[in-house]
Amino acid sequence: MTRYSARFPAPAALAVVALAAAAVLCAALPMHGASRGAKPVLIVAALCAAGSVAQLAGRMLAQGAARPAESYLPTLTGLASRAWAATAAVPWPQLLLVAVLVLEVLHPSRPWHTVLLGLILLGYLLALHLAETGARVFVLRGQLRLIAAGAALGAVSVGAGLLPAGAGSGWLTAVAGVAAVIAAGLALPV
Amino acid sequence: MVTAGPPMQAPVTWRLSRHARRLVTLAIAGLLIAVLARRPEFAGLAAPALLLLLPAGSARPATVGVALAAGTGDRLTEGERATILVRVTGAAGFDAQVRLQAAAWIAAEPGVLGADGWFRLPFRSQRWGRRPVGTLELTLHDRWRLVQGRLRVDAPTAFCYPLPARLESRVVLSKLPTRLGEHPARVAGEGNEFSGVREFVPGDRQRRINWPATTRRGTLQLNTFAAERAQVVVILMDVSADVGEAGTSTADLAVRAAAGVGASYLAARDRVGLISFGARVRWISPAAGRRQADRIMNLVMTDSGDGERVDAVSRLPHAALPPGALIVVVSPLLSLRLVEALRELRERGFATIVIDVLCSEPAVGAGLVSGAALRLLGGRLMTGRYRRLEMAGLARRVWRMEQDAIRFSLRELGIPVVRWDGQSSLDEPLAPYTRRAMVNRA
Repeated sequence: MTRYSARFPAPAALAVVALAAAAVLCAALPMHGASRGAKPVLIVAALCAAGSVAQLAGRMLAQGAARPAESYLPTLTGLASRAWAATAAVPWPQLLLVAVLVLEVLHPSRPWHTVLLGLILLGYLLALHLAETGARVFVLRGQLRLIAAGAALGAVSVGAGLLPAGAGSGWLTAVAGVAAVIAAGLALPV
Repeated sequence: MVTAGPPMQAPVTWRLSRHARRLVTLAIAGLLIAVLARRPEFAGLAAPALLLLLPAGSARPATVGVALAAGTGDRLTEGERATILVRVTGAAGFDAQVRLQAAAWIAAEPGVLGADGWFRLPFRSQRWGRRPVGTLELTLHDRWRLVQGRLRVDAPTAFCYPLPARLESRVVLSKLPTRLGEHPARVAGEGNEFSGVREFVPGDRQRRINWPATTRRGTLQLNTFAAERAQVVVILMDVSADVGEAGTSTADLAVRAAAGVGASYLAARDRVGLISFGARVRWISPAAGRRQADRIMNLVMTDSGDGERVDAVSRLPHAALPPGALIVVVSPLLSLRLVEALRELRERGFATIVIDVLCSEPAVGAGLVSGAALRLLGGRLMTGRYRRLEMAGLARRVWRMEQDAIRFSLRELGIPVVRWDGQSSLDEPLAPYTRRAMVNRA
């Protein structure tokens, strides 16, 4: 019960900022080879990164602070408070993930780069998790094997991506479809 | 007082945690892109997230046990810190967090988990009365924080006594009943307070002979002492009108003042009674002791619905008003029925003192302008809004004059009226009447 605390560790928060920026940059560069829609998606991704960082900062600041009852707030302050609450309710990290992946898919195929982006995104999610829960890094020790297995699967997928079309990529696509169904099953309310 | 119920089994609602939802997003988005764009490297990108989600399928309890207990004594006073103890059982392997969602007039503080496995949730009640403390929100997390279970349990009810007003000096009557007590009376008796010297008569106790006086006067002189008597005090608490801001309204001040006066006189071993003059008239006959203090507090706190309706009562109950009692009235003096009752009390010879708790005036409205400013505006610009404001200002002036007239008429009858703001000690407004004994006719 003591592995998670109520405090927000600053190193994890800094890692969140760095990894969010790295993910957006990694997916965006180089821009000259990307499709036409890359620029708007890049803007959306940058906004989502900023939103997720601001959301985290807001949670850090709001922690432990007593929130006054809304009825006692002046009108302007009340409106600002409601606007901030509505903004904070948006799932910025999820939007960032989707935007970064869309940005990446708008580029020509580059398997190693994509898997590297996946690791950056995973690092971002874990750092965000640590920053929100106040946990230390060693709580992830038990998940290292899973992460390593995932990285190995990523390397396999890179190999599949490097194969020419039709040379086994069909069954890999089928495996990906089954995995998508499993992921959707996990996402169902439990 | 915080009451605690027996341990209960509460159902848990489980859902994916925020962290797990993000992993699911990454996995699904990566896999969908891999399928749609026929780019297998995106499946590799999704693979670690998918694998990290695997432990989310572990077994989770459908219900957990929640035990509640009171962490403090059986009495809670306004502003005093109390604690609720919460213990969660049947959730081994899960991190538990408990938060108190405080109800109105309850200020919750962050809870801590003790070494004994009990969560301690401190809170303060900011207003007297019987009220729910709030709702306990329990959150359970698995080891990897992939799923979280939530349940809500109603927190116990708090019985919060009013914070008694401070009163250290007491109003004492000049003529006290013949009941032994602690107040020095005018008559000689067996008390400790020296009252004078008189000539010795056979039968007097020799140990009380005043030898210096005997030497001076040439005859045996004896010390005399004042008798010590108990006083009968009846508190008339007027809660028929409740005006002002909640927490510092007239009813709040009346209750705090009544509690303070009662506690002070009971501490001096006097007999204290209470008449509650609200929607109904209820009373407790005067008595002394700690149990009487509890009875008074219970009468103040609870509205049991018994007693006579105030509009059906023509006179205050005689049973609650023993002869020679000091009547301490705590009232905003907004009820003309009560004012008539006070006049009648005075006619019956009771020594009465009124503590005025009216600390607010009727609001005229936002954007009130002064009468002088209205006059400057002149008749041409006198719109309907300003006319209404002027009329409201006039009504308030009439109201003030009425209130002054009520207080003046009571003073003319010989009933002192002192004003208490609810902040300072009651000693301050009562000082003119506590320095010397208050004359009564009994």
